[in-house]
Amino acid sequence: MAMIPGLGNAAPTATFSAPAIAATVAVHELRAESEWRFEVAIGQKIEVRVMSGTAELFGTELALNHIYTFWGTKSSIYTWHGCRIEVTGLCEEYTAEETPMLQYANTHFALERLRDEAQQKRGEGPRVLLVGPNNSGKTSLVKLLTAYAIRMGRQPMVINTDPREGLLSIPGTLTATPFASIIDVEQGWGSSPTSTSSPVPVKLPLCYYYGLASPEDNTKLYKPIVTRLALASTSRLAEDQIIKETGMIIDTPGIICQGKGGYDLISHIVSEFSVNTILVLGSERLHIEMQKRFSGHRTSTGESITLVKLDKSGGCVDRDDTFMQQTQEAAIKEYFFGDSKSTLSPHTQQMGFDDVIIYKIREANAMSFLPGGMEEEATGLYEKVEPNPGMLHCMLAVMYATTSDSQDTVRDASVMGFVYVSEVDDKKRRFKVLAPMNTRITDRPLIWGSWPEASMSVIA
Amino acid sequence: MLTPRQSRFEISNLTIIAKENTEHAFAISEALKLHLKQTSPQKKLPAFYVLDSIVKNVGTPYTLFFGRQLYATFMEAYALVDTSVRRKMDEMLKTWKEPVPGSMDPRPVFPPELTRPIENALIKAKTSFVQAHQEHLKNQQQQLNRGRSTASPAGYRDTPTPPNAYRPPPPNVTPGYGPNYPPQQQYASPPINGQQYPNQPNGQQPYGPPPGPPSQQYPPQVASGPPSWQQPPSQGYQVAENSIARLNSDIDKLITTSKAEWAQNPYDNSIGTRLKALLDLQTILQNQQLPPNQIALIKDQVDQLSEASQAPKTQLPPAPVYPPAPVAATQPPAQQPSLSSILGPGALAALARASATPQPAAPINAGAPIRSPQPQYAQPSYQQPPATAPASTPIPEASSLLERLRAAGMLPAVSTPTSAPTPMSSLPVPPGFPPSFLNTPPSASRTPLANLSNDVVLKPASLKEKRPHLISSLYERLGAPCTQCGRRFQADEEGKKKKTAHMDWHFKVHQRMAEAEARGQHRSWYVDELDWIKSREVEDESGTATTVANNSSAASAAANNPKLQYLAVPDDPALANSLCPICQEKFEMKWLDEAQEFVWMDAKKVGDRIYHASCYAEATKDVITQVKRGTPEPAGVLGKRKAEDDYMALRTKIKTEN
Repeated sequence: MAMIPGLGNAAPTATFSAPAIAATVAVHELRAESEWRFEVAIGQKIEVRVMSGTAELFGTELALNHIYTFWGTKSSIYTWHGCRIEVTGLCEEYTAEETPMLQYANTHFALERLRDEAQQKRGEGPRVLLVGPNNSGKTSLVKLLTAYAIRMGRQPMVINTDPREGLLSIPGTLTATPFASIIDVEQGWGSSPTSTSSPVPVKLPLCYYYGLASPEDNTKLYKPIVTRLALASTSRLAEDQIIKETGMIIDTPGIICQGKGGYDLISHIVSEFSVNTILVLGSERLHIEMQKRFSGHRTSTGESITLVKLDKSGGCVDRDDTFMQQTQEAAIKEYFFGDSKSTLSPHTQQMGFDDVIIYKIREANAMSFLPGGMEEEATGLYEKVEPNPGMLHCMLAVMYATTSDSQDTVRDASVMGFVYVSEVDDKKRRFKVLAPMNTRITDRPLIWGSWPEASMSVIA
Repeated sequence: MLTPRQSRFEISNLTIIAKENTEHAFAISEALKLHLKQTSPQKKLPAFYVLDSIVKNVGTPYTLFFGRQLYATFMEAYALVDTSVRRKMDEMLKTWKEPVPGSMDPRPVFPPELTRPIENALIKAKTSFVQAHQEHLKNQQQQLNRGRSTASPAGYRDTPTPPNAYRPPPPNVTPGYGPNYPPQQQYASPPINGQQYPNQPNGQQPYGPPPGPPSQQYPPQVASGPPSWQQPPSQGYQVAENSIARLNSDIDKLITTSKAEWAQNPYDNSIGTRLKALLDLQTILQNQQLPPNQIALIKDQVDQLSEASQAPKTQLPPAPVYPPAPVAATQPPAQQPSLSSILGPGALAALARASATPQPAAPINAGAPIRSPQPQYAQPSYQQPPATAPASTPIPEASSLLERLRAAGMLPAVSTPTSAPTPMSSLPVPPGFPPSFLNTPPSASRTPLANLSNDVVLKPASLKEKRPHLISSLYERLGAPCTQCGRRFQADEEGKKKKTAHMDWHFKVHQRMAEAEARGQHRSWYVDELDWIKSREVEDESGTATTVANNSSAASAAANNPKLQYLAVPDDPALANSLCPICQEKFEMKWLDEAQEFVWMDAKKVGDRIYHASCYAEATKDVITQVKRGTPEPAGVLGKRKAEDDYMALRTKIKTEN
């Protein structure tokens, strides 16, 4: 999930030996098949205009002479035919001639072949799983394959199973999103619906809440949610011919690419989504492990699994915790307040302690030293808690369920939205939350997880 | 007088109205005919464009109704308008003799028996009254000098006529371009560059910043061998077959054509790309000694390209009768089959497509559903009878020549099937052996790969091969990009419609965003699982993906009711949970792209309360139905129940499956 081809770190000078600090306005000539990698610090922004030639950002073609604004991101612009770009603002940047783009594009065309076949047979398009360690460029490749598919008139279903980063939602969620319209290049993936129009068509994600940073923190919660996600996606595919032909592209957490526990989770995802194509990014060892595991494997429909290893892009950079935390906060802020293009106004709601049902997620695996797992079974996935000061500055997921539903039903429910706890008054037994809109939420169960982490800066 | 942009919208609107009301086609066409007759001369052209747009985009029954007095309608107007308008009417008339571009239907817009009398009359008028015409023109100019400049919606369709005697060539045309056109052909064959709409990019500008200078990374235009355009095109004919000289001259010709196209259409990168490839090829040929088989291969490719670039210009019946083409050297059509079997369908298609791209250079068509003198890249499909093609001809090696040139940095070893005869141009065409790629439908807007050879498999070696022809399926083969978002649209009918709607969509969004700025906005809740499963990303008329819930009441309401009833989901928490006071049921919440917010479908606010619009209508009809409403009989309520049952069924299904 980790690749952001860009460079350096959030603290720009740390990793970059010779940072090329661009002048306020710079024009770059890119040769055919080269990639301009850039990094804009959080809080900074740059404007990029393609003056001539063709250029694409993770597979999405950029319009000529249109001004694109990028803020707080590590990204790259690739050109197949050569181009000339004008950059206004400060960023770290360099141009790379060596990229795995040929391989990636060919991967897309190989998938297109499978889709054409599916279309003829009215069958199902490829279900593609991307695996690879953290920061190997999985998410960027998912985005590239998605963008290419969209350009060819397809509608891929993009699945995110990595709780570390959100896709059209906040971190901690697992989502499924059909993509029929262009990806918003300025904003990562784009935006989920708001009350107004967006210059790039909004996408409609289906969200489930896992609420922990790593799948291995609580596999007993992670697995059923993945199952549920797969069930909903498969139901959609069954009825939606064009998505069915295109198939799915599934992003995974880098963390599950090491050790048996992680491989088991990969197997779980593979079987739940009937994955028939696995792309392994970067890691030779993982490739071999996957071969061992899936060489004789058949999907539920009897297909064999195609496994191929792809090169990691030189543009991938390690993203440290500081950067991850900053992007996490940015995602939360954006959820409530919008981005630089459109400002959203969340509502503040005040509720009594007794008005709400809040479930706290147990980190089951953290207690795995307990004998036999008996306790876990007995106590359930969630612990019912009263609002308390520990909740301050945390996110709570509002579930599409009722307060009387069982814990399993709540777990399987999709997410309606999130609220942010901005104030807890123990004495008056009241607390305040920031909600995207002013709808009563007290008739819905709320889930409190540890991911995304509490963050002060959201309302600062 | 309308501005070009306004008239474009007007025209497309009127066309849509005409399309949606075909049951009143007679009345509509009569009204338009009357308008054409009565309106002032400087307003006639836009009206004709409406007619043109309707007959091309809607077709029957309008073609029938307009056809009835086509001669009178056309000639009466022609007599009154000034030369610039006449030129446009000439152009329009020419397109009426051709099939609708991009359409599968090979019949002309209007049958020849309708267009021919007009043409004859025009020719007569022109020859016998040239001088009188000049006089008349002068008088007319004096009469009309007020309205003159506004008479033609310039930005909308200032299509240059074929370069003819009285019209100076566009200033940016490379020298030598014009002379290549034998004058007598200018009227006989549809214009090559008449299709370029040089000022089209401007037509789009309301949406975006002005296009920058022509792309500069393709130096060929400047650096390109001047020799290319100094060579008269006809030279190639005398040179011995298969010789390098001949090949060179062919390439020159292609370069000349491409340059001319590019000069006319500097924003179209695909032309630039092609030009660059040609120039590279030329350099290679000039600087290197190549083995004969490779030269033969190049030659084939070039021949194909020449033919392909001619193809759009002429309407060909199945029998390959090639009219003289103005610029590119004409190759005996006999070559086609053998070539395609040597190079593989992909290569050919790629080149044919590439040479057709000038037309997709559709920034032009930005907002206009009107396609008059249009690029017809679909045409190759008319050239050959489709059915018989041996689609299964085993042609593994299908990458194009240019690809190979690039791949090896030069010309790599050629691995084409050796069984094919050396490409001598004089091979007779085996009847019923057309190139297989021609069989694919012309408008492959959905999967542009369908007629490209795609041999990529998920194997490390296969993934490392270069395949530029596949990359082109992400670029020029998809048509010309939207200036706002870079999304590409085909130049065929469907693509144009989509693009028009797409530009409208951009426009509306900008408007809505400005409005929304004032009233405050917020993030919406995510959709519920079942709504999500039921929703569809629909590629609708607006050319943008719209998410619609594909179920019961919304769909039927939309179908019955052009203006469907809905309310934004109230922000007030008290109201947000309200039930319809009549049926005591909840409102159905949907994401409505049109409104860009979550709405309650079939909802209506009366005073402080929200009702189901259908319930309310039912309730207020009259006493008798009110009585009925007490029972659970009324169709509206019943329909809703049913929808809910479906939901419940699905809900349980999901549960049980889990």
